[in-house]
Amino acid sequence: MSSVDTYGFINAKMRARLGKIRDEAVTETLLRSPSLVDAIGALRPTRYEALARTFDQSGDIQALELVLLKMEIALYREIAKYVSGKEGEFIAQLLGKIEIDNVKNSIRLWYSSIIHHRPIRHRSEYLFKEKILHDVDWGALINSLSWEAVIQSMKETPYYPILSEYTQEMLREEGLFHLESRLDRLWYEEILAATELLSTADRTKARQVLEEEIDLKNLIILIRYGWYHRLESDELATLLLPWGKVARERDVAAYIQSPKEKRSAKELLSRYLEGSGNIGESSAVEEVLKIEEALAQNQKKAYRRLLGGDPFTIGVALAYFFLNKEEFTRIKAILNGKYYGFDEGYIRGVIG
Amino acid sequence: MNLFTKPMRLLTAVVLQQQSDQVVKALLQLGVLDFIHINRLEADQLAKLSSKPSSTNRIVLEDLRGRVEALLKQGHLALPGEGTLDVSKLEEVQLDAYRGVLDELTRALLGLKEEQKTANQALLGVEEMRRYLAEGKWEYLDLRIGMTKAGKSEQLSDKLSPFGAIVEPIGEGALTVLSLRRDLAQIDPLLEKFDWTEESDPLLQKQATLVVRTRLETEHQMLTDKRAAIERSVDEAINQRKEELYEIWSNLRLNELSDQIKSYFSYTRNTTLFSGWVPIDQAEAVRSAIVEASGGQCVVEWTEATEVDRSSVPVAITTPKVLEPFQKIVNNYSTPEYGTVNPTIFVMIAYLVMFGLMFGDVGQGLVLLLVGIFGSRSYRKNPEKPEGMLTRNVTNLLVYLGISSMFFGALFGSTFGLPIFRPLWFNFEAAVEGHAPATAMIHDVYGILGLTIKFGIIVIYTGLVLNWINLARKRLFVTLALDKNGIVGGIIFGTGLYLAFGFVGSNYHFFPSDPWIAPTLGVGLLLLFLKPYVQYVVDKRNNRADKTLGEVAAGSIMEFLVDVLEIFTGYLSNTLSFMRVAGLGIAHASLMGTFLYLQSMVGGVAGVVIFILGNLLVIVLEGLSSGIQSLRLNYYEFFSRYFTGRGIAYSPVGLNRSQNRQ
Repeated sequence: MSSVDTYGFINAKMRARLGKIRDEAVTETLLRSPSLVDAIGALRPTRYEALARTFDQSGDIQALELVLLKMEIALYREIAKYVSGKEGEFIAQLLGKIEIDNVKNSIRLWYSSIIHHRPIRHRSEYLFKEKILHDVDWGALINSLSWEAVIQSMKETPYYPILSEYTQEMLREEGLFHLESRLDRLWYEEILAATELLSTADRTKARQVLEEEIDLKNLIILIRYGWYHRLESDELATLLLPWGKVARERDVAAYIQSPKEKRSAKELLSRYLEGSGNIGESSAVEEVLKIEEALAQNQKKAYRRLLGGDPFTIGVALAYFFLNKEEFTRIKAILNGKYYGFDEGYIRGVIG
Repeated sequence: MNLFTKPMRLLTAVVLQQQSDQVVKALLQLGVLDFIHINRLEADQLAKLSSKPSSTNRIVLEDLRGRVEALLKQGHLALPGEGTLDVSKLEEVQLDAYRGVLDELTRALLGLKEEQKTANQALLGVEEMRRYLAEGKWEYLDLRIGMTKAGKSEQLSDKLSPFGAIVEPIGEGALTVLSLRRDLAQIDPLLEKFDWTEESDPLLQKQATLVVRTRLETEHQMLTDKRAAIERSVDEAINQRKEELYEIWSNLRLNELSDQIKSYFSYTRNTTLFSGWVPIDQAEAVRSAIVEASGGQCVVEWTEATEVDRSSVPVAITTPKVLEPFQKIVNNYSTPEYGTVNPTIFVMIAYLVMFGLMFGDVGQGLVLLLVGIFGSRSYRKNPEKPEGMLTRNVTNLLVYLGISSMFFGALFGSTFGLPIFRPLWFNFEAAVEGHAPATAMIHDVYGILGLTIKFGIIVIYTGLVLNWINLARKRLFVTLALDKNGIVGGIIFGTGLYLAFGFVGSNYHFFPSDPWIAPTLGVGLLLLFLKPYVQYVVDKRNNRADKTLGEVAAGSIMEFLVDVLEIFTGYLSNTLSFMRVAGLGIAHASLMGTFLYLQSMVGGVAGVVIFILGNLLVIVLEGLSSGIQSLRLNYYEFFSRYFTGRGIAYSPVGLNRSQNRQ
């Protein structure tokens, strides 16, 4: 089967939808809405009409996040359905990221309930509890009375070995940060392995996209934990994802090994982020957010470039998912901003 | 309905500035003027004119109107629509007052929404326990029966409510508590504070399940009702201010339109100038309106469309409502040039004949007709209904397609693929299956193919004749005579057809060798070659030549080769393209034949099911294919002969614009 056969139909479909996303300019309209009620009204004539319907019935902004998550999952499944064979399998594997995020959210809730003894009452109902990729018993997970029970709820998943390395006591003392980092790393391991399913052209494209994403993650880790939180060299090195260009660079190794007080975000960024200018001069939370936003914008540009490349590769599908996810994230952020009464300028500043 | 686009006139008017608002209102009411910016004046005169910035930013007006619309939609109220606008109520916008109304209403709604959110979250908590109970997931639940020695049951209930636990009295002085096991670490200490002692009575244990189930159901119902009641309160709150919102919306919209008109105005110190196109039949009404609104203190000047470049004149088309679906097919392609033929009626005839030839069946046509009628009626009854796969236009079109299909079905004697009636023309199915009598007008697939090719020739020649009419009206006589789509092209095409039919008539043995053929082709090709030179001479005589003779000579060879290629391959492929009509018709008949055969093999109820499903499949798939192919033949084979699509659509500003466009 030629790449034109594989991607011809779906490429046209995705491009038409991306055109619609651009025409609707949803996030711009949402930003200009003076209140949450107006913002919800602006969603009605768009593909997000289901959000407005849910808000009419519930008045609950958190319920909308679940609707968005369902839309995102449906998006992957639909495209995977249209692309048969190994490429379809690979696209289905991309759902693993959503599953891992859902696992992390569920474990956080469990942690809040069992370790911190906080009531999680309705909050557990905002979780997605159907099968995403693997057989996770979401009900058992959220109702687990111990860490062992949490592990058991994921016995049939690739997360089991990682979860088994931790005990309730370890989590109580160290928190969830390391566990979550391990799960994130597992996702990249799995998806990079899944690229072996693809043809040479697709594999090259997919690996290129994934490695660019890994580079971005690594830069964020180096800035957030190496520069802002000033983690020790050993600990920082274990957080780094061992793929992509950044992880291989000598100057990155030198940055990690340098005394934590002397690490310079500005110097690091100047090598990897065009036009980073004065970003990273002072060590403030806003500065970290600014850096992360600049890096994310860089990644967005890379995905937009993908759309201009060969239309008959997996690259267009990856760009399509990314741009959709980005819009979902922005919608969530804007609606939350409107709910808390922040003005347009402030929300714009936060979401970039 | 006009066969040609509507004749237009260009208005240029000057009114006193203090009367310009009245003039705007009058023009808004009429809604027939397609404004243009004044740019035809001399540069020194233009320099004396100025444009005035709008007092209110139109984006602000649009945003505010968007807010009103969002609120009306939130309250499930219909939007007012431009038909309700009354120009006499146009007032200056009170932005702050409008914002005040909208903010106040929004605040009230946000308050209600906050209450609804609380109810929703309580409901989610109840739903979780209710689900576990229904699924028998006792491992997640904790149900206990006991007594408190300290404190009252209400107090205990309050203390446990953050965990969503349920406390219900059971038996004499006993209580039952239902909670989630995951919350036990917090609930147990609270129970201890109330000096909780467990009861082990098995009868009470049994009753407790029923008690908590009933309580959960009641709670669930109560919270669902509460959430829905708040939703109704939101609607009510908006409904109460409906009139106010409608008023704001109307004034905002009127101001937007007024601002749009004023954006075309130019000003001197005391006067206002504007210009725009009007259909000739509306010209007097526009003049009277301006004169009346300005109290006679105005100058109105008219310029005929013939005096300006044809390509700058907007195109208005009059189409009766019944032809609307076909007008939309034309609009979807493009706008015809000013002064040329309005193709709608020809598209209608060609489309319906093509569709009927491909999908002729009385029964299936009746289904399409009924779907069309019920679909259109449903849209008329619910104007706000969102368009599904069968859009408004498609349902309207289906009525015509159904009638066409029934008409051709009667000609072919086919009803759901069955020969119930005698064909009025020939039996299509029999011709396809090869058992039609030899005496029949068309008795085999070759006959069907020949029929559709002849039909294609008629369509192509109709296109050529329409092109000749357009060229004559545009006074492009050289192109009319010598172009590949002109008379020369038509003659060469006709000669080619004569050769082709002669070849087929000789049973594919030899071409006709009439003595006139070679000279006709030779002279035709020579004229085609000479066209750029003749055009050059004519242009030079009229001082319009934009090329030198050398440039013409250089381009003429290539142009000639392309034209010859286009005539010999383009006309051939366009003509043969109509064989798809036969192809689709044959596929339709074959499919129906197959389903009827399957039905006869299976028989009984299963046979009837096959018959019904087969017909449904054919209606959906073949109906869609035939519709698309008819569209394609119209767009490419028919339009390419005469429809340049270079026109600019007439787009007047004002109320009732859609009516005025007709």
